[in-house]
Amino acid sequence: MVTVSMNVNGEKRTASVAPETTLLKLLRESFNLTGAKLGCDVGDCGACTVIVDGKLVNSCLMLAPQAEGREVLTIEGLATQDRLHPIQKVFEDKGSLQCGFCGPGVIMSAKALLDQNPNPSVQEIRDGLAGNLCRCTGYSKMIEAIQTIARERTA
Amino acid sequence: MRPFDFYAARDSSDAVALLAKHGPSVKVIAGGTDLLADLKFAPASHHPKVVVDISRADDLRGIRETDAGLRIGSLVTHTEIMESPIIRDLFPALVDAAHTIGAVQTRNLGTLGGNLVTAVPSVDSGPTLVALDAVVTIAGPDGRRQLPLAEFFVGPRKTALKPAELLVEITIPKENVGKPTHFLKFGLRKGQALALVNVAASFWVDWDSETFLNPRIALGAVAPKVIRAESAEKFLAGEEITTDAMAEAGRLASGDAKPISDMRASAQYRRDLIAVLTKRALEGAYELAQKKRKQS
Repeated sequence: MVTVSMNVNGEKRTASVAPETTLLKLLRESFNLTGAKLGCDVGDCGACTVIVDGKLVNSCLMLAPQAEGREVLTIEGLATQDRLHPIQKVFEDKGSLQCGFCGPGVIMSAKALLDQNPNPSVQEIRDGLAGNLCRCTGYSKMIEAIQTIARERTA
Repeated sequence: MRPFDFYAARDSSDAVALLAKHGPSVKVIAGGTDLLADLKFAPASHHPKVVVDISRADDLRGIRETDAGLRIGSLVTHTEIMESPIIRDLFPALVDAAHTIGAVQTRNLGTLGGNLVTAVPSVDSGPTLVALDAVVTIAGPDGRRQLPLAEFFVGPRKTALKPAELLVEITIPKENVGKPTHFLKFGLRKGQALALVNVAASFWVDWDSETFLNPRIALGAVAPKVIRAESAEKFLAGEEITTDAMAEAGRLASGDAKPISDMRASAQYRRDLIAVLTKRALEGAYELAQKKRKQS
């Protein structure tokens, strides 16, 4: 077992886990943060997407000890008790999710994209979401939602 | 995943020491995008007892011009290649190749060194670097050694790395820094696809005679490892730069390859793709050469 400590959604968290534990498993099973989902477990589907030190990553492809000392942001770190994060709100208003399983990952990808590129083109949005598979929506309403936020923010 | 012991290396020499100490049942993890995906499905016999993490070995980072040429640390991620001002200026083909790998998440974690060490025949970083005569530097218990990337690749998922050795950097030799190069990949879709064929073409232009100088064509996914299309290169050397010559090089490159038929495409389809993509890659490199000439 190894002890790992990191900053998760602004809070210092520590756990003792087997070294082969993925960051995803650590988040879900040790820290009770079940927003990031276990989908394919090999980095194809993006359901486990989180942000580590400002970079979008698949948490199923990072070992928990590799995240030692890092800053981890998950979907649970976006909303407050009072209100949704603006990206979540627009996704809700537009009906951008259907079953919702891919949602936490898609929204983290949208956040990372907009943080880096406040006014992305449709092609850049598609590229930004290429690592997130959604089998319900066909992506159109997600792309519309991200365009809406970009317009609001740059207006 | 099965249990393993985990050690984080401080730097490359620490990593080599850890590999030597814990070998032979030991694996290196950097970005983890290949290793962890493999370990989750690998048979028990392929599972390492020890994993050495090099993701904090900062001497393996960085992109810079040295006396030997352009040096890229093995831990440089695909995203860092795409964002590097030096690479964007000197080798847009490397930026294009990095962009075709995985998606944002995997490009942020995945490293150039990892892409090369995994050594699948479709390795997207491979053709451009082979076309630029890139040299790899390997650190081991007995010191460092260098060899051409083309020889580093031995076969599907096989490299020249010996036990306890680590790929530390990739160098594009000085004489090829800025050499006009173009990379093209053809997959079944744009996002997260493996290449059916990938091609890099690179040459200097002798502007007095408008001929090809030191032409290189490297092909991926059409042989057990990345290969040079030698008969196409031989034909182009000294040849006048024309569309016909580029098309003929494409036909010759198609003959140089040994593609297989698999679930993604037939061998014949791959051969046809090689001819088309080689011609287009040559056109792309020529366009870049003309652009660079105007700028200078």
